[in-house]
Amino acid sequence: MQYFLTLFILIFFQFSHANVQTEQIAPDFNLLNSYGEEVSLSEFKGQTVILEWTNHGCPFVAKHYKTKNMQNTQAEAKKANVIWLSIISSAPGTQGFVGDREANELTKLRSAVPSHVLLDSKGLVGKSYGAKTTPHMYLIDKFGILKYQGAIDDAGGRGFMFKDLSEAKNYILSALDELKKGKKITDSATKPYGCSVKYSS
Amino acid sequence: MVNIISKKAYKSLSVKLSFFLILLSTASFSLWSDPFFKASDSTIEIISESKTMNAGDELLVGLQLKLNPGWHTYWKNPGDAGEGASITWSLPEGIKASEILWPGPETIPVEPLMTFGYEDKITLLTNINASETAVFPAILEAQVSWYTCKDICVPQEANLDLTIKGGDKRDTSFANQLSNILLDLPTNLLNKHRVEVLDNSYYLQMELKDNTSINSAYFFPEEYGLSSYSKKQISEINNNSLSLQIPNSEVNLQLQEFAGVLLLNGQNSKQFFNISLNLDNERQAETLSLKDLVFTILFAFIGGLILNVMPCVFPILSIKILSFVEQSEGSSRKMIQHGLSFSAGVLVTFLSIAGLLLLLKSGGESIGWGYQLQSPLMVTLLIYLFVAIGITFMSNLILGGQLAQLGNFTQGYSDITGSFLTGVLAVIVASPCTAPFMGSAVGIALLQPGFSTVAIFISLGMGFAAPYLLLSFYPSLLRVLPKPGAWMETMKQFMAFPMWGSALWLTWVLSGQVETDTVLMVLLGALLIALSLWLLDKNQSSEGFTKWVAVSIATLLLGFALWLAPTDYENTTDDSSSGVDSYTPELLEELLAKDQPVFLNFTADWCVTCKVNEAIVLNQTSVKNALRSKNIVYLKADWTRKDAVIADKLAEYGRTGVPLYLLFSPEGVPTILPELLTEDILLSYINEIK
Repeated sequence: MQYFLTLFILIFFQFSHANVQTEQIAPDFNLLNSYGEEVSLSEFKGQTVILEWTNHGCPFVAKHYKTKNMQNTQAEAKKANVIWLSIISSAPGTQGFVGDREANELTKLRSAVPSHVLLDSKGLVGKSYGAKTTPHMYLIDKFGILKYQGAIDDAGGRGFMFKDLSEAKNYILSALDELKKGKKITDSATKPYGCSVKYSS
Repeated sequence: MVNIISKKAYKSLSVKLSFFLILLSTASFSLWSDPFFKASDSTIEIISESKTMNAGDELLVGLQLKLNPGWHTYWKNPGDAGEGASITWSLPEGIKASEILWPGPETIPVEPLMTFGYEDKITLLTNINASETAVFPAILEAQVSWYTCKDICVPQEANLDLTIKGGDKRDTSFANQLSNILLDLPTNLLNKHRVEVLDNSYYLQMELKDNTSINSAYFFPEEYGLSSYSKKQISEINNNSLSLQIPNSEVNLQLQEFAGVLLLNGQNSKQFFNISLNLDNERQAETLSLKDLVFTILFAFIGGLILNVMPCVFPILSIKILSFVEQSEGSSRKMIQHGLSFSAGVLVTFLSIAGLLLLLKSGGESIGWGYQLQSPLMVTLLIYLFVAIGITFMSNLILGGQLAQLGNFTQGYSDITGSFLTGVLAVIVASPCTAPFMGSAVGIALLQPGFSTVAIFISLGMGFAAPYLLLSFYPSLLRVLPKPGAWMETMKQFMAFPMWGSALWLTWVLSGQVETDTVLMVLLGALLIALSLWLLDKNQSSEGFTKWVAVSIATLLLGFALWLAPTDYENTTDDSSSGVDSYTPELLEELLAKDQPVFLNFTADWCVTCKVNEAIVLNQTSVKNALRSKNIVYLKADWTRKDAVIADKLAEYGRTGVPLYLLFSPEGVPTILPELLTEDILLSYINEIK
């Protein structure tokens, strides 16, 4: 019995101390959305969930919204019954920090279709996922396992501002597609690109 | 609504300059505040070493970015966020531009993140190459995009051009500045260096010149997914070597190359070096060929068979045989059912263990089969357990423990379920003491893809269950076994000895992990347990107060025994088991007087280089064997606590610190070995010893 006990302790230790790694359990969280309602990851068990770290003031995010690239990706996800959570980890007083009303206005103005906009001004959820940039994307399957983390597409790298996003490979859409077909995700972790998340330090 | 940021036009060298924001997102803009934009102001200028050149010449051109205080721009790898500058050249026929020659970056922390870039002023160099077909004057056009960042980032873009006329090159006022910048670019590292991967960190190590003034180092990785950007790197300078510990990336992309730029900080200098090393992915799975796999599976089967006669499995075997004996009057069909059920229990358990190990492996942790034996606490508890089981075998005591009551426990279930559970328990009980024997097979299994791992574990289980299956299919073999009777009690008592044998073996394991005193404490604990069980046994039939006192004292004794168990990892004395003696001047002298070759290792626990050398070289079996075959005595001088005697010896060789490796020939002539040992280097030195 000790043997199994040790194994379980080891597994627990493993998960509690590990950084978020692809193919591991995605950390649960509980945040308020832009309507003041509590939203937790665990309530979406059985559904695929996408996390999008965002900051409307960040030029990288702005380009993805200006070109409708982000909204189109959200719409595709919605069509496939995928939960889309846009998370704002900007600390009060930093770029991208918004209140409920502003957040909802932004969603409306940009014709965005996330399932929820979540406010993480303390940055705890961002840090628990190791979110570094805006945008920074995570895909969690219906069992709560992290299947993808990184950039939204392969347009990152120097000269991003000149690139045509419609020609880029959308990692989120291809991961969703592979997940649906039960295939292994080809790119399960990519380099996220964009502005730094404006955490309170 | 459009915000215009401040513009500056640069006229020098007929540079057309424009700043603008690409993003005029109407929604976002109302929320942006103006001061950021003014503060983000930066200027860009194109400069060249000459305004003239001939066909066939090379020309050094620089894009000079000046940033306002507090603002920065990025290196080619920006770190956790941001993006390096990009230049798109439009050049006439016959003229080519190189990639950007990036100067060494600085660390720019943005808590809790880390970025790499430049502050104040930065010049990005480009080599312009004119072939024989180039025609002058030529207009070189550059479209540049970059980010200036403070708390926020602002993307910027400029179109610049530079007219170059034909003629011999003549230095401009920028020529000197540009060639200085060129000289400061990272150069290839000529010092001997290497990288090792240990415990979730890279250890970059390099040799230093004797009179170096370097006091720290930092590694800037070129690609994402290699090393962590934000975790602290630790540099350590020894006599003439440097070790830099670089934590692995949070998201490990298993890159094959360890590439980037190394910064060496001197007293008043900074030097950058390019590093590109292949990562020896020895740890990565080497897929076995089919032939090897078949062989391994066969080996696993034999291993499984052998498990049956291991000390802590053997009693289980006996218990199982007893139950077979009891049931041998039943039909042969029932017998086969028992055999199959038991085998299924064994297989399911082995598969579960395989599954758990695979799970752990996917978590990125490489674990060994016998890892639970690395914990002194676990070993102690197992010693107590085996002692206790032995005592109960000797006495008439029936303990609540499932192990001791294996027979009873399984009787609670229908016969078939009972056999299944016996199979499960047999494997669990077996696991601790099979470790040393099964280590290699499991090691191979874990390095293999999931399929092979499962196959190897199934084969292990089959081997383990084979004797029972055989017995159940050929009950005639059972007739060789004696009929149940009084001999069973004798056999039960006899079984105490293998149990105590296991405890003995575990004590030996423990003695390699903890101090002698602690071993004594554990043995005292075992004695107390024996006493406690004897008390319980004696008072089994007593009643009332007497029984209450007996049970209380027994419980107290048990508690005391547990209290005696080593709670934590004590400093392991792993060397005592590998036959390494501690250095004393007298011992060395004595050995050398006997014409004995000696390898002397000056080390300390706080010396990273020493530990890396020990892990990757000195503790390797090939090295140990080579030392043994040449009859070289391995002495260790541990300088963890500063010691005047060792310091004197170090000083004798002009050293003030560790590591120092000395190899004495039989004639007593010492050779100083390099600080950065490799297996090849050490073996070549060892082979020179007659």
